Amino acid sequence: MADSSGTTLMDLITADPTKASSTASTSSAAPSSATAAPAAQPTALGKPAGEKKSKRATFMQIQSDTLTVAKAALAPVRTNIMPQRQKKKPVSYSQLARSIHELAATSDQKNSHRQLVRHVFPKLAVYNSVDPSLAPSLLMLNQQCEDRNVLRYVYYYLARILSDTGAQGVGTGGGIPTPNWDALADIDAVGGVTRADVVPRIVEQLSAEAKNADVEFHARRLQALKALTSAPSNSSEILSRLYEIVFGILEKVGDAQQKRKKGILGAKGGDKESIIRSNLQYSALSALRRLPLDPGNPAFLHRAVQGISFADPVAVRHSLEIVSELAAMDPYAVAMALVNHVQPGGALQDVLHLHDVLARVALARLCYTISRARALDERPDIRSQFNSVLYQLLLDPSERVCFEAILCVLGKYDNTERTEERAAGWYRLTREILKLPEASSKEGSKDKSQKTKRPQPLLKLVMRRLESSFRSFSRPVLHAAARVVQEMGKSRAAAFSLGLQDIDEGAHVNTYAEAADLHDSDETAHPESIRRTSSISNGTGGRDTIGGLLDSLLEVVRTTVACECVYVRGMVIKALIWMQGPYDSFDELESIIASELSDPAWPAGLLNDILLTLHARFKASPDMAVTLLEIARIFATKVPGKVDADVLQLLWKTCLVGAGPDGKHKALEAVTIVLDLPPPQPGSMLGLTSVDRVSASDPKSALALQKLVQAAVWFLGENANYAASEYAWESATPPGTALMMLDADKMVAAASSRNPTLAGALTRLQRCAFSGSWEIRIIAAQALTTMAIRSGEPFRLQIYEFLHTLAQGGLQSQFSDMHLSNGEDQGASGTGLGVLLSPMIKVLDEMYRGQDDLIKEIRNHDNAKKEWTDDELKTLYETHERLLDLVSLFCYVPRAKYLPLGPISAKLIDIYRTRHNISASTGLSDPAVATGISDLIYESTKPAPSEPVDSLDDDLVNAWAANLGDDGLWGNNAPAMNRVNEFLAGAGTDAPEVDEENVISRPSVSYDDLWAKTLLESEEVEEDDAKSLGSSSPDSTGSVETSISSHFGGMNYPSLFSSKPSTYGSSQTRDKAQSNWGGSSLSGGLGSPIREEPPPYSSPIMKRFESFENPLASQSFESRDDDQVSSASVRYGSALYDFTAGGDDELSLTAGEEVEIEDEVDGWFYVKKKRPGRDGKMAGLVPVLYVSQS
Amino acid sequence: MILAVVFANAEGNILIERFHGVPAEERLHWRSFLVKLGSDNLKGVKNEELLVASHKSVYIVYTVLGDVSIYVVGKDEYDELALSEVIFVITSVVKDVCGKPPTERLFLDKYGRICLCLDEIVWKGYLENTEKDRIKRLIRLKPPTEF
Repeated sequence: MADSSGTTLMDLITADPTKASSTASTSSAAPSSATAAPAAQPTALGKPAGEKKSKRATFMQIQSDTLTVAKAALAPVRTNIMPQRQKKKPVSYSQLARSIHELAATSDQKNSHRQLVRHVFPKLAVYNSVDPSLAPSLLMLNQQCEDRNVLRYVYYYLARILSDTGAQGVGTGGGIPTPNWDALADIDAVGGVTRADVVPRIVEQLSAEAKNADVEFHARRLQALKALTSAPSNSSEILSRLYEIVFGILEKVGDAQQKRKKGILGAKGGDKESIIRSNLQYSALSALRRLPLDPGNPAFLHRAVQGISFADPVAVRHSLEIVSELAAMDPYAVAMALVNHVQPGGALQDVLHLHDVLARVALARLCYTISRARALDERPDIRSQFNSVLYQLLLDPSERVCFEAILCVLGKYDNTERTEERAAGWYRLTREILKLPEASSKEGSKDKSQKTKRPQPLLKLVMRRLESSFRSFSRPVLHAAARVVQEMGKSRAAAFSLGLQDIDEGAHVNTYAEAADLHDSDETAHPESIRRTSSISNGTGGRDTIGGLLDSLLEVVRTTVACECVYVRGMVIKALIWMQGPYDSFDELESIIASELSDPAWPAGLLNDILLTLHARFKASPDMAVTLLEIARIFATKVPGKVDADVLQLLWKTCLVGAGPDGKHKALEAVTIVLDLPPPQPGSMLGLTSVDRVSASDPKSALALQKLVQAAVWFLGENANYAASEYAWESATPPGTALMMLDADKMVAAASSRNPTLAGALTRLQRCAFSGSWEIRIIAAQALTTMAIRSGEPFRLQIYEFLHTLAQGGLQSQFSDMHLSNGEDQGASGTGLGVLLSPMIKVLDEMYRGQDDLIKEIRNHDNAKKEWTDDELKTLYETHERLLDLVSLFCYVPRAKYLPLGPISAKLIDIYRTRHNISASTGLSDPAVATGISDLIYESTKPAPSEPVDSLDDDLVNAWAANLGDDGLWGNNAPAMNRVNEFLAGAGTDAPEVDEENVISRPSVSYDDLWAKTLLESEEVEEDDAKSLGSSSPDSTGSVETSISSHFGGMNYPSLFSSKPSTYGSSQTRDKAQSNWGGSSLSGGLGSPIREEPPPYSSPIMKRFESFENPLASQSFESRDDDQVSSASVRYGSALYDFTAGGDDELSLTAGEEVEIEDEVDGWFYVKKKRPGRDGKMAGLVPVLYVSQS
Repeated sequence: MILAVVFANAEGNILIERFHGVPAEERLHWRSFLVKLGSDNLKGVKNEELLVASHKSVYIVYTVLGDVSIYVVGKDEYDELALSEVIFVITSVVKDVCGKPPTERLFLDKYGRICLCLDEIVWKGYLENTEKDRIKRLIRLKPPTEF
């Protein structure tokens, strides 16, 4: 334990500061020892006093006693190092509280002040919250004590009591958890003091002080107001009181017009009155900044605008921030209020020279908002004034301000991305020119060279600035600069996507500047213009074209990849991805990414961020699909263990659709290249930078790669037909029967000449069905079935034959002998796929038999020259429908178009349909299709949705078949989708997840966390599972079942093991349905008894169409829960030990107490008690280990 | 918005934390994320050298000062550069209070005063005072500008 280091928070409490005089320390010890009997013994590091169970505490007590004795023996040697440790009695929270109460009573004595300031208050600060029972004493001190240092602490603690809501996040302050207030109840004779009791009194007293206009009192007035703003902003009573106070102060001091004198701020000077006024102005505006905005209120705006000309720089910053936020809501009113300030010499111009970075940042935002406001369309003069202030900020010495100005120019303001605004931003950046107004150049930039004063193209300014920033050694600067470049890329992409074609990047930057130069003809002799003319002669390859400038910038950006900080590198890569044009060569980018990803230092979160960037990039310019897929492929091969397979799949899918008819083949290739990779070579360091090598040397990433390959196989099966535009129902060349007579070799040749994309996919899948691991083989077989059903001849026959062979087995040893060595049970049939394949083959059998019968019938009819009777047609139609139903069990096909009996059946079925008035599209509202197979199986009574399907166009149908169309690309695959959408929306401030492996290696996290984490270590597996359930993230090292049941969106695992729910995620209902059908439904009917759980689909509509979504995710969550925990919804348990809540969200327990366990987060249970405890709380968090589950 | 200011010691124990606008259930994640970040990257880093990280749209700037590592987390206008300003103020004040880059012992001895300073620097998720003199005056309950 770090206890021995002598530097823990507990030490602070146990020990008196060295400085303390001996008299002070003895007297401070006196009250505490007098009251004795500490409620909680101090303990070792990270074992917070409050959280100890009593037995353990006594044990620790004994231990520490022995330690003390041992140390005492060493005392002569050790005294210098830790003189206090041996002699001082520790001070518990309750002792501190008592001391405060006692010292408050004697607050008129100097001695008490000293003790308070030196011992009691600093030690109290160590506890993470302050309980309300201290408030009466604090208030008493506040009234009676004169000592400034004591009072400052009093305000600090009063503010903390006010702010302590727990929910807001301001309550806890690190350090040692405060023991339960309950335990302190005996201090107050009356009993427990609650917040509700003391808050009104605190507010009352503080607001009285905040209104006190006494000059001598004004420092306290400021602190009182500040403490008052700590109150949670949801109490309207306190808020209105605050508004009243703030506006009251501003009424008095706000209006007095005073000229701000430059340089006065730090210097001592000015008369007392104006300084007091300025202090009050500061305090009032600071408070106003913390209050909720009041957009419609003219008084509010007036006061905020007034603040811009105050003398106090912090006040100016606050008022600018308020005004810029108001401007976003009501730009017109704000602009009108600011008209006078924006003039040359006005207050806003002064802000340009204010030594406060954040004030200028707020100014940039303000200027941007107003200069782009539609509401000011009829006042271009005002807009241009603000615009010119914004452009001047580009010259700001601070990077923060300059970058903010660049982002504003680029149209990046908040996270609401509007393409037009972004495109306009790029236009502005490349076209516009900064002309400094005369006034400012006179005073501000005396030292600047002439060059700055003459008009400059924004782009050049920005580029120069960025390039110099990239030379910085500061990581934040590099990170920020890369971010700015990324935003630049976004705006550029937006401009291209909107077809701002006239942006000719070869064009000369200064051509625009020249127009402006014409005005001042005396500048022709300027050296700049000489350089310019010379660069013109260089032609478009010169440095001064937009393209040239960008190139040189990107060169600098690329070198930044060498930064040792991964986050900077990550941002650089994102920037490069954004700056990558659809038609540029991306070799360089590819090799950068490939070599970067080989670095094991990359955290998974960051990689996924980059993956999401690819999504965003694709959304901005769909032309990039192929490029982006190539990049995604690098991710898949290099860091399979770290990327989120769901997001990757979604990217594949969206890119495939976005690639357009020509790019589809390439896109599919890019995906399936994953399958062609050689198996990872453990420990091989060769080809680290090669894209075509898998780096998965550790078991975890090997497993992840495995999953990724599964995903790819599944993806291939689902989407190959779409990518190849090959569908049985609209084959370009309807296959003649002659084709069916060919032998297999000729068939393959014929097929690949007809559709190389599909043939290629087929070959890959066949190989996977043979030589993958068993998971992959299973999926490959399914994928092949899907393709067989969807494709026309000769593909179907080819697959049929293949599946047949596979089911028979025997051939396998010829194809691959890898299986012999991988230790898997091959099953009786050799491939182990027999059970799985038989239903598939059965369907195909049925289809072929049906076709044969049909042909026979047709011949018979033809020969006999007979018309088809209605009965015969009916039989035919019924066969057709039955086959359709069967087929639909395997994959989606458009029922209106699909002809299981072959193209020749079309006419006859049509005849029957017209005769009997059967709409062709009724098929689509067939339950099997419309509500998903599970419903058919479970005979759901849910009404089928009535869809407008009559006017289906082919593309839509085909897209459906590939699960692409329907409700939009971006509306599918829920978990991944959420991540992507969240990313695109720029949201996401939620806490990052930390890889578990690293958590374990952490000794501790905070004093109370340490404790929680030690719990976690033993519970690691459980946590893993929980994690993969929630996020289905690939990096969880959960068990195989976990990954299978929750990992792939819509991945349908076969039903081989469906009768064993404990191993196989009982969630595979749909597959089970398939197998039930295949295995037993022919004999046993649909409601097969194998099923062990009730139908889990609650809203099954559309499931059929969304196989890319993970329909099993939610359900697998539940059912996994079932596996892990005995009862699904509510669990019960009893407290093993006493537990004292360390914070507001925690719950105290008494050993033996019965609780209801609601859920578990990171080693904590959220539990409910049967009745409220002594603290009145019913529910809260308790450590997992303190509760035994019953 | 400054989401969090966290002080931790070399072992990764949190000494002071101030969260603002972070839901209670996420704080645990943030703590472990920050501490892990520090343990991965702060080895051998010079005092006050700034390191940067990001998570989604949240920025993190952190550094080490003596035995204590300091993390600042922010979003929106508090990007990595603004956070650098914040952390600069914090480090210079801590150095001022402790007289030098603090050992953990020294830091804990000055714990109360550091809390008061922090209270003047970051207030309800916004940066407040940046000048050392001003902060020094304020924690002694003197007006920010004296006459």
